[in-house]
Amino acid sequence: MDVNFSQDKDLAIDFLQNFADAKGEAKYMSILQDVANRKIKAIQIDIEDLFDYKDLDEEFVGRVTENTRRYVEIFADAIDELIPEPTEVLQDDDHDVLMTQRAEEGNENADGTDPRQRMPPEIKRLYEVYIRASSRGQPFTIREVRASNIGQLVKISGIVTRCSDVKPLMKVAVYTCEECGFEIYQEVTARVFMPLFKCPSKRCNVNRAQGNLILQLRASKFLKFQEAKLQELAEHVPKGHIPRTMTVHFRGELTRKVSPGDVVELSGIFLPIPYTGFRAMRAGLVADTYLEAMSISHFKKKYEEYELKGDEEEQIARLSEDGDIYNKLARSLAPEIFGHEDIKKALLLLLVGAPHRKLKDGMKIRGDLHICLMGDPGVAKSQLLKHIINVAPRGVYTTGKGSSGVGLTAAVQKDPVTNEMVLEGGALVLADMGICAIDEFDKMDESDRTAIHEVMEQQTVSIAKAGITTSLNARTAVLAAANPAWGRYDLRRTPAENINLPPALLSRFDLLWLILDKADMDNDLEMARHVVYVHQNRESPALGFSPLEASVLRAYISAARKLSPSVPRELEEYIATAYSSIRQEEAKSNSPHSYTTVRTLLSILRISAALARLRFSETVGQSDVDEALRLMQMSKFSLYSDDRQRSGLDAISDIYSILRDEAARSNKMDVSYSQALNRISRMGYTEAQLKECLEEYAALNVWQIHPNTFDIRFIDA
Amino acid sequence: MVGRPYDCLANPLGAVRFTFEKAVSSGSDPASFDRNDWGVADLFREFLFDKDGLRQVPMLTPSTAKWVQPNSLVRFRGMIQDMLGNEFYVGAYKIKDTWNTNKFADASQFPMGPSPDMRVWERRLLYCVPVPGQNSWADATSDGVVNTYATLASREKRQRDACFVSDEVEMQDSNNEIPDSPSAKKMREGGSLPPENLTEDTDCGMIMMPDFDRNNFPCLVKIYDTPESDLKLNDVFEFIGVLTFDTDVKNDKNGESELENCFDQEELLNLPPSKVPRLHCLVHRKLSPNDLIVRSPTMESKPHLMKELRQSILHHLTVVLGDDDLAANVVLLHLLSKVHVRVDSIAVGKLSLNLTGFDKSSISVFGNRINDTVKNLLPFSQCIPLTVEFLNAASLAPVKDYQTNRLVPGVLQCAEGSHFTIDETQLQSGTLNSNGVENTWLLKDLMEFQKVEYDFKYYKMKMDADVQILILSEGKSNILPADIVIPFHPSSVGPTRIVDEQTLNAWRWYLATVRSLPHSIGADMQKVVEDDMVAARQVDRSLGTEDFNRWLTMGRLMGVSFGETSLSHEHWQMVKEMERLRKERLK
Repeated sequence: MDVNFSQDKDLAIDFLQNFADAKGEAKYMSILQDVANRKIKAIQIDIEDLFDYKDLDEEFVGRVTENTRRYVEIFADAIDELIPEPTEVLQDDDHDVLMTQRAEEGNENADGTDPRQRMPPEIKRLYEVYIRASSRGQPFTIREVRASNIGQLVKISGIVTRCSDVKPLMKVAVYTCEECGFEIYQEVTARVFMPLFKCPSKRCNVNRAQGNLILQLRASKFLKFQEAKLQELAEHVPKGHIPRTMTVHFRGELTRKVSPGDVVELSGIFLPIPYTGFRAMRAGLVADTYLEAMSISHFKKKYEEYELKGDEEEQIARLSEDGDIYNKLARSLAPEIFGHEDIKKALLLLLVGAPHRKLKDGMKIRGDLHICLMGDPGVAKSQLLKHIINVAPRGVYTTGKGSSGVGLTAAVQKDPVTNEMVLEGGALVLADMGICAIDEFDKMDESDRTAIHEVMEQQTVSIAKAGITTSLNARTAVLAAANPAWGRYDLRRTPAENINLPPALLSRFDLLWLILDKADMDNDLEMARHVVYVHQNRESPALGFSPLEASVLRAYISAARKLSPSVPRELEEYIATAYSSIRQEEAKSNSPHSYTTVRTLLSILRISAALARLRFSETVGQSDVDEALRLMQMSKFSLYSDDRQRSGLDAISDIYSILRDEAARSNKMDVSYSQALNRISRMGYTEAQLKECLEEYAALNVWQIHPNTFDIRFIDA
Repeated sequence: MVGRPYDCLANPLGAVRFTFEKAVSSGSDPASFDRNDWGVADLFREFLFDKDGLRQVPMLTPSTAKWVQPNSLVRFRGMIQDMLGNEFYVGAYKIKDTWNTNKFADASQFPMGPSPDMRVWERRLLYCVPVPGQNSWADATSDGVVNTYATLASREKRQRDACFVSDEVEMQDSNNEIPDSPSAKKMREGGSLPPENLTEDTDCGMIMMPDFDRNNFPCLVKIYDTPESDLKLNDVFEFIGVLTFDTDVKNDKNGESELENCFDQEELLNLPPSKVPRLHCLVHRKLSPNDLIVRSPTMESKPHLMKELRQSILHHLTVVLGDDDLAANVVLLHLLSKVHVRVDSIAVGKLSLNLTGFDKSSISVFGNRINDTVKNLLPFSQCIPLTVEFLNAASLAPVKDYQTNRLVPGVLQCAEGSHFTIDETQLQSGTLNSNGVENTWLLKDLMEFQKVEYDFKYYKMKMDADVQILILSEGKSNILPADIVIPFHPSSVGPTRIVDEQTLNAWRWYLATVRSLPHSIGADMQKVVEDDMVAARQVDRSLGTEDFNRWLTMGRLMGVSFGETSLSHEHWQMVKEMERLRKERLK
C-alpha cells in the first residue's frame, strides 16, 4: 500500500494537539495530562471527533476506519511524542525503578544493531489507545458483518453468552542473557509466540557463547486479556434461523466489563486470527475471525436513559402536531385486540405515568398509575398484559402464583456456594422504574398480597429476615389482571363479591376495569366475520388505520416522560369541586359501591398529569382533568353499568344473600328448609322463588340440597 | 456431449475451475465474485436437471459412504438441524499472475503463501441430519440397507444426546492426557484421505461407530452464494455437491499446542470429520412430500380419481379403526391438516385430534394399527409414549449448548409436516419435576400455537412448527388440549387387509397433493357460515373463536379431500353433521 504512515502520524499529532471539543477545550491534551499523572490508562479516540475536527481530512478518517489496527499503533506513536510531563508528584513504582535502571544502562546496552536489543516503545507506555466507532448510525447485527469488513472498525450489538477468565497476555517479553547480561526484548503481537532461546547480542555472537536467555517475568509487559462470545439478539434473528455468535477479545482496561447475559453494543476491529507455526503454512484456507473490542456500552432499559435514534425525534415532533395523538397511540397498543378503546387509553396512561412528587417534609407521592383488569376468561386480558410489557422498555410479566421461590417481592436466600444469606429481588423489584404486569392477581399468595400493599403506595419492598433488614426500591407501575371470584362474572352479585379482593388493595388501583363477555348478537357476528375473514384471506382484517410501531410508541412515551407537568392554581378549584361532587354522589346513594377517598383525588391528578405529558405540555389543562374524570367514570360504569344497577339484585340473588347471611349469623354451614322459608317470606319472596334459587345455586356447587328435606348445606369455599 | 474438459460426476471441481478460468479470461475481476456465481450453478443445473444427470449422482448414505469417492459429486437428503454460522476462506488467490479459486473445496489446489492477492470470501455452514421420524418408504437412503429404525423416537433422541455428551467428555479427556492435543480447528483444513481410513480412525480416543448408523448420519453442508432466507431451520432439502472428508486429525496430533481456554470453533470438536462428511453444495432443492413418493402415471388430479382415492383411503381407515366411521372421517381430516398461515398468534389450518376411550386392551390392538397406518401414509411420523418418567427425563425442546456452541436437538425439533402420535394411556399419576412441567408446557404450546420454544439460555425463541398431533387417551386429555376430541367407538376388530405398495403410493400421493390444494370460501357461503356461527353461539355461549376456527378448518379439509378448492354447501353440511355426531358422543 502506498499510504504514507509517517504523514498520517503527523495528522494524528495535529489532531490530538488541536482538537477542541464543544466547549473549546483541548479534549485530548487534557486526557494526555491525566495519563501522564497516572490517573487514567485508557485513551479513547472517538471517530466522531475526527469527523468534527476543523481540519477534517475525510480520506484520513476513511483510512482509520478501514485499517484500524494499524492506526491504533500510529496514534500510540503520536501520543508517545505528545505526552506531557506529569504535573503532580508521583510515587515511583516498580515500573519506574526498572525504567530508570534501563535508562542508566542504556549506552551499555546498545552493543549492536539487533532490533531485539532496542527497547520497544510499547514497554514504556502506561496507557492504552482505543479508537471508538461513531455512536451515530445503527450497529451491525452479527450476521451483517461480512468478509469485506475484515480489518475495519465495526459496531455490533448482541448478548454476551460466555466469558473466559481474565488472563495475562504477554505484550513484550523481556529476557536476560546468562552470558552477556543484556536485556533482550521481543514484542508479541499474537496470542502465541515462540520464545527466544539464544542470545542474539553481538557480544554473544562474537564470543560464540550462545548465551541462554532467561525470561524475566517482572520486566516483561503483560496485558489483561479476556475472551467472550457474543450472540445475536433474538429480535435480530430472521425467522427460521439460529442466532449467530462471534468471538470477542477484550484487552487491558476493557476486561471485566461484561458478564454473560449482558446486552451490549461493542465497537471493535473485525480481524482474522493470525495463524502461527505449522498452521501458518496452510493458513490459506480458512480463517477464524474475532472482534478486537475498542469500546463497550451496555444497553440501558430505562425510559429516562432511552436515547432517541436519528429520525425518531423528528417523527415524534410530527406526531405531537397531530391533534389525535391520544387516540392514535391508544389504538396502536395491541392493535390485534378488537375494541376496548378506553382500556387501551388507560394502559397508555399507565405507560406514560405521572411525575413522582417529593414533598418538603420528605413524603413521596407516587407517579406510577396502577390498573387492574378484571374479567371473564378468554377476553384477551393476558394478551393485553403481554403487549404492554413488550412496549415498555423495562417490563416484567409474572403470574400471581409466581414461578420462582423469590415470588413477587424479595426473598432472602442462602447462596449455595458461600452459604451466605443473599437478598434476591422478585418481579416487583426487577421492574423498578418500569412496569410489572401480574396476571392471575386473585390467585396470589397471601404473603405477597400483604407485601404488595407497601409496593403500590410506598413503592418499596421491606425485608426483615435472617438478620437482613433493608428496603428495596420498587418504583413500578402495577398492571394486574384477575379473574372474578367464581371464574365467570356473576351479574347477579355485587361487584365486591365478584372481585374478591380486599378493599384496601382495590383502593390502591387508580383504575379498575371490568371486561365482560356479553351475549350480544353484534359481537358474535363480528367474531364470526373475523374468523371467516382470517380463513378466507389468510390475514387479519384491516384495522382501518395503520398502528404505530412499538419502537415509535416507546420513543414517544419516553419523550413524554421527560416532562413533569404542574397543576395551575386556577384548576385547583375545579378539581376540588369535581372531587367533592363525587363524594356527595356517593353519600346520596344508599348502596355505595366505591370508596372515594383522598386516593381518588390523587388518582385524578395523576391521570391528568399523564394526559398533559402526552400533549407535551408543562401544565395540566382542564381538558386533561375532564378526560381523567371521564376515564374514572367509565371504569366505574364497567363495574356498575346502569342496566345492572336497575336489575340490581334480582330475587334469586337476594334470596341467596339472605340465606348466606342467615348461615353466617348462626355460624353454621347448614340452614334448614323451614328456617329458610321463614326468612325469605319475611322479605316478601315466594316459595317458588326459593326453590328456583336452591336449584340454581346447587348447580353452581354453592350448596347442597338434601333430596328429601330440602335442607341447605353450604359448601365451604 | 463430447469434448467436455471435465466430468461433472467424478471431477466436479474440475468443472468449477474450468468455469472460473473461463470467467476470468473473459475479463471478469475475481474480486467481484464474492457472493456471486460465475456460472457454476447454471452448469450443474443443466447437467442435473436438463440432461438427467441427477439419477447418476450417488446418494450419500451410511452404506454408500463407504465407497463414494471424495471430491466427487454426491447428493444428501436431510433436515437442517443447526446453523453453525459462516466461515471465511480464501476464495481466490493469485499465483504467478494466474488466479485460482478455492470455492467448493476444503483444500487449495496449490500451496500458497500469504500474498496481497488473496480474496477472502465466506460460506455458510449448515448441520444437516436425516429427517427425524422418516419412515422407511420415504427414505431414499434405505435402498438395500436393512433398516433398523426403532419407533421409539424418544429413546433414539436420548441415545443421541448421550452420544454427544460422551464425545465431549472424551475430547476433554484426551486434552488432559496429551497437553499437546490439537484443537479441532485444523480439521477444517486439509486434504482428503481415501475412505478406507474412515473406520479406523480411532486415535483421538473416541468411540467410533464401526459403521454409520441410519439415525446418526449427519452431514455438514457448506452453502455458497444462496441468500440466507432460502434455507431455514428444519427445512428438508436435497443438497447436491462435492463430497470431502477432510481428515487432518493425524497431522494435528503432532502440531503445536493450542492455547487452552480458547473457545473458538469448539463446535467442530463434536463434528469429527471422520464421522461427519462435508458437502460443498453446488445445487440444492427443497423437498416436498411428493418428491419422496415413487411416482406412477395413475396419479393425476382428476376429480373422479380424487374421489375414488378418498373413498378407498376412508374405507381403509374405517377398517383400521374397527368400523368406526365417524372416527375414520375425522382421522382423514386430521391427516390432511396443515398450517396454512399464521394470523396474529393463531395457526390457521391445524387440526390436532384426541381419540378418547382407549383402555389397556384396545390400545394394544388399535394403537399399533393406527401407528402402522400413519407410518405407511406419511413420510415423517413419530410416536411418543407419554409417561411421567418420559416427561421428566426427555428433552423435548432443542437447547443451545454454549460449551459446544451447538443446538442440541430435542424431540420437538422436526420437519414441517411431521406427525406425532402421543399415547397418553400409559400415563400414570406421579410427580412432575421442573423439566416435566416445562415439557408439558412445550407440548401444549405446540398444540395450541404450533410453535416450539427453543432454549437459548439467555432468551428463548419461538420457532414455527407444523406438526399434526394425534393423541390416544382414556379420557379427554387435559394436558394436551386437542382441537377435536372424539370418543373412539370401535365395533369390530376385523383383520386389516394387506395393502399393496402401489395403492399405498397412490394414497401417499393423494394425501400430499390434497394437503397443498388452495381453498377459498365464496361470498354466499361466507354468509351462510357466519349465520350458522352466530346462531350456534346464541344457543351455546361456551362456543368461542377456537370452535369457529375448527369448523372452518374442517370445512376446508372436507372440501379439499374431495379435490375441490372452494367450500360447498354440501361439505359444510357434512362438517356440521360431523360436529353434531361428535357432540352426541361426548354426552
